[in-house]
Amino acid sequence: MVERIKTGLSEILRAAPVAEADYTAKGYHLFAEVAASDLQGVARFFDAQGFYLAMIACVDYKEYLELVYIFANHAELCKVKIALKVDPAKPVAPTLSQIFDCACWYEREIREFYGVLFEGHPNLTYLFLHEGIDHYPLRKAQVPVSAADKRAMAALPVADGEDSFSINLGPQHPSTHGVLRVVLKMDGEYIEDAQPVLGYLHRMHEKMAENRGYVQFYANTGRMDYLGAMAFNLGYVTAVERLCGIAVPERANLIRVICTELNRLQSHLMWLGAYLADLGALTPFLYVFDDREQIHDILEPVTGSRLTYAYFRFGGLYNDVDDQFAAKTRAFVSRLRSRFAMYEKLVTGNVIFLNRTRGIGVITKERARKVGVSGPVLRAAGIPMDLRKMEPCAAYGAASFAVPVGTRGDVLDSYVVRVKEMENALKIIEQALAAMGEGPVMAEKVPKKLKPPKGDIYHCVETPRGELGVYIVSDETDTPYRMKWRVPSFSNLMIFPELAKGCLLADAVAILGSLDLVIPEIDR
Amino acid sequence: MEQLISIIGAQAFTMIAGLIGVIAFVVVNALALTWAERKVAGHMQRRIGPKEVGPYGLIQPIADAIKLLGKEILTPGAVDKPLYVIAPILIFVPVLVSFIVIPFDARLVVSDIGVGILVILAFSSLTVLSILLAGWGSNNKYALMGAVRSIAQNIAYEIPLLLALLPVIMIAGSFSLTAIVEAQKGLWFVVYQPVAFIIYFIAAVAETNRTPFDLPEAESELVAGYHTEYSGMRFALFFLAEYTNMFIVSAIAVTFFLGGYQGPILPGVVWFLLKAYLVVFVIMWLKWTYPRVRFDQLLNISWKVLIPLAFINLLITGGILKL
Amino acid sequence: MTLSPSAFITAAWSLLAGLGVTLKAMFSPVVTSQYPRELLTIAPRFRGHTKLLADKDNPAKNACTACQICVKACPSSSIVKVDGEKREGEKRKTGTSYILDFTTCSQCGVCVEVCPFDALDFSADFNPAGFKREDFHYDLVKEFDKRIAS
Repeated sequence: MVERIKTGLSEILRAAPVAEADYTAKGYHLFAEVAASDLQGVARFFDAQGFYLAMIACVDYKEYLELVYIFANHAELCKVKIALKVDPAKPVAPTLSQIFDCACWYEREIREFYGVLFEGHPNLTYLFLHEGIDHYPLRKAQVPVSAADKRAMAALPVADGEDSFSINLGPQHPSTHGVLRVVLKMDGEYIEDAQPVLGYLHRMHEKMAENRGYVQFYANTGRMDYLGAMAFNLGYVTAVERLCGIAVPERANLIRVICTELNRLQSHLMWLGAYLADLGALTPFLYVFDDREQIHDILEPVTGSRLTYAYFRFGGLYNDVDDQFAAKTRAFVSRLRSRFAMYEKLVTGNVIFLNRTRGIGVITKERARKVGVSGPVLRAAGIPMDLRKMEPCAAYGAASFAVPVGTRGDVLDSYVVRVKEMENALKIIEQALAAMGEGPVMAEKVPKKLKPPKGDIYHCVETPRGELGVYIVSDETDTPYRMKWRVPSFSNLMIFPELAKGCLLADAVAILGSLDLVIPEIDR
Repeated sequence: MEQLISIIGAQAFTMIAGLIGVIAFVVVNALALTWAERKVAGHMQRRIGPKEVGPYGLIQPIADAIKLLGKEILTPGAVDKPLYVIAPILIFVPVLVSFIVIPFDARLVVSDIGVGILVILAFSSLTVLSILLAGWGSNNKYALMGAVRSIAQNIAYEIPLLLALLPVIMIAGSFSLTAIVEAQKGLWFVVYQPVAFIIYFIAAVAETNRTPFDLPEAESELVAGYHTEYSGMRFALFFLAEYTNMFIVSAIAVTFFLGGYQGPILPGVVWFLLKAYLVVFVIMWLKWTYPRVRFDQLLNISWKVLIPLAFINLLITGGILKL
Repeated sequence: MTLSPSAFITAAWSLLAGLGVTLKAMFSPVVTSQYPRELLTIAPRFRGHTKLLADKDNPAKNACTACQICVKACPSSSIVKVDGEKREGEKRKTGTSYILDFTTCSQCGVCVEVCPFDALDFSADFNPAGFKREDFHYDLVKEFDKRIAS
């Protein structure tokens, strides 16, 4: 596949060379620098080849701004980085939002953080920020936001139709699970348009990363996705390890897998409870908390924390697990297995639940690819893509499990996929426990102050919500030059407006819940 | 006392004494039910529920009531004041009237009028009016949507409710609740009319806006539905009415289908309350088990399933009675 | 909405099965613990705010040498000030004040890990409460002395 893409890409980019990159160190196979005029052609080529746009990042190299496009494929491992240099004095680039829908939000984000103007973008307004921000925050030099730019970005098109009214779902609403705000345009109970408004929890983690050392950023990872803290931690740690070429002991890798899967179970259970609460059943919420508590009881003595673990370190773990860890985990695995029958009776078989979820929020494979959704939502749409299989990090390579997929792509499928994923997680935990032997949990000779070699890496892991991509640019100092986080909920939320259109309000709540959003992760 | 009775007349005296009794019962009943709901919910969710205030948390509802009474009466600025104020008071009228005709025991009924059930059904339609006033007067989109849902729902479910009660009235040959109870000396009507009982029960749950039919106040969709803008004592009145309505529909179920106050050994009023609270428990049990149905499904259940089924049942009952 | 008899029976049965689950739960023992009447044991590795540990050779003295490594390592600049003095007959300084601003601390543990003298560890203090910000500006040396005295 890599060869095919290389020849295809070379044909389009006659002048610019397509270079092969070292996948192990970089996380992508091919690299090409394109001119602004070629960008849309390249994107169309990837679209025709069935690729999805994983993310767009911008890096300020002072002499120029570089837009980084990562294209990837659902069926086969092939990652391509396309770079476009932009003049920092007058940053203009062509938009990809007509080709890949997910480019829309990424471009808005880059617009407000870097001031890059994307020509042809339909709605280049504020996404996270507001008019009160006077400088483009992620530019290395202090670049003021001009009054004209502020006006252009602030223009939120709100149009009340004659027979419709708008209503705010959030930022304080029982079913948005955090501070997500969705402006709904309603015709009675039917939704005509849904526009998510982000930024209520924006903390600028990416900027924080630029002014603190690699080690000091541990704690931030868990704060982005408070339910999948372990997976975010894993993504960050393995990305930096890959960048520096640090080898991790086997035992540490297995413990990482166990802890991440426990965390995934915890996250999926929480989703299950919250989702049923969205649908009006409040009791399952308490049952899943009973199960979640058991996971906390395993992880707390090991990591010292119940939510923001920060357990993994470059080269290994913060601490070896205690003696009861294996026994407690085994007991938990058999306990949760026996609980599935109860959930089956209470939820899965329930006719009201089935009628509420079947056939709504249908995502087709094509739309899933264009919008770049990932994780259980993508698998529910019928695409069997799991990064634990595709790009296994830690000890995931040895895990054997079947990737569950949905057949209809509706909300019920995403429920079924998540339940099967819980069963898979139990399986993976058992396999890892069986493989775990004695040994060190920390690599020897990991420098106190990491100074990764110059270069960049796009590394991704499967979090409970989907593809987490960490794009790090290192300039050989002890702080990252740029760290971009491609978070799963951000891309998954992008598909919500089209799913909600024409739905009843109750369905919109069910769809929003099925996306399993964690707002701090979206806002970062 | 006898002097007093002679002055105002025996009938008026029973009415006044009854009203006082009814109001006292409504308040005590609602307080007890809030406690019971929290205990039932707690134990179904494997927790304890209220336990700190008094033994088994029994004083908790009184503490809550004092808290609600002590709260400042807030009126949001944008509301339509007369409607907003009158709605929570109005919701109490049908509640009080319904109690007047319910026979707690053979002789424990405030006023045994011949058309008892018609009084209850007629007045219970008023509940919708006050919910509409609350939703409209609040000047809040969520509240209005809750009110609109409530109207559609109540209209849809009043029909099967009535149709399910009709066969019983036909068998008993009377609209009087006491007569209906007396007609169940032998077998309870639930044995003759199981389908009617189930239809009545579903419609009753829907009429009282309880899960799985709690759309007017669906908290995950409409925040709190029609009472989003209410707080303090005004909110408490809605709350009180909800729980009292729950008791009334249970009481009617007991009167019509479960033999009313009849039962061995124990006095009739004890039997009546026992059965009524059992039905209340089942309604609570449903709430803490099921998710909420969707709006179109809710209406479909009524118009496409319950009403045709109730009609068929009515026809069959009529046919059998005629033979 | 399907209305075939078999679908109807499945639907009704699913509803009853759900009721069975909750009824069974109702008569099962509760699983909650009654805080604050019942306290769970706190895990030994629990990450509360940091505390100073005693010197290995002299348990009455804290192990801090005011070397400032933790101050530099803290990602949130939560360690406001660390002072020490060199006492007679000792090779290194001894900490005399260690001000931790707990309001900005995220318990990441970087300070505990970088400390070359193993002078820091997490406390098990899980429920700090206060009325103003300054209530959370802890002086770990004072706290250490209090702990030793008691």
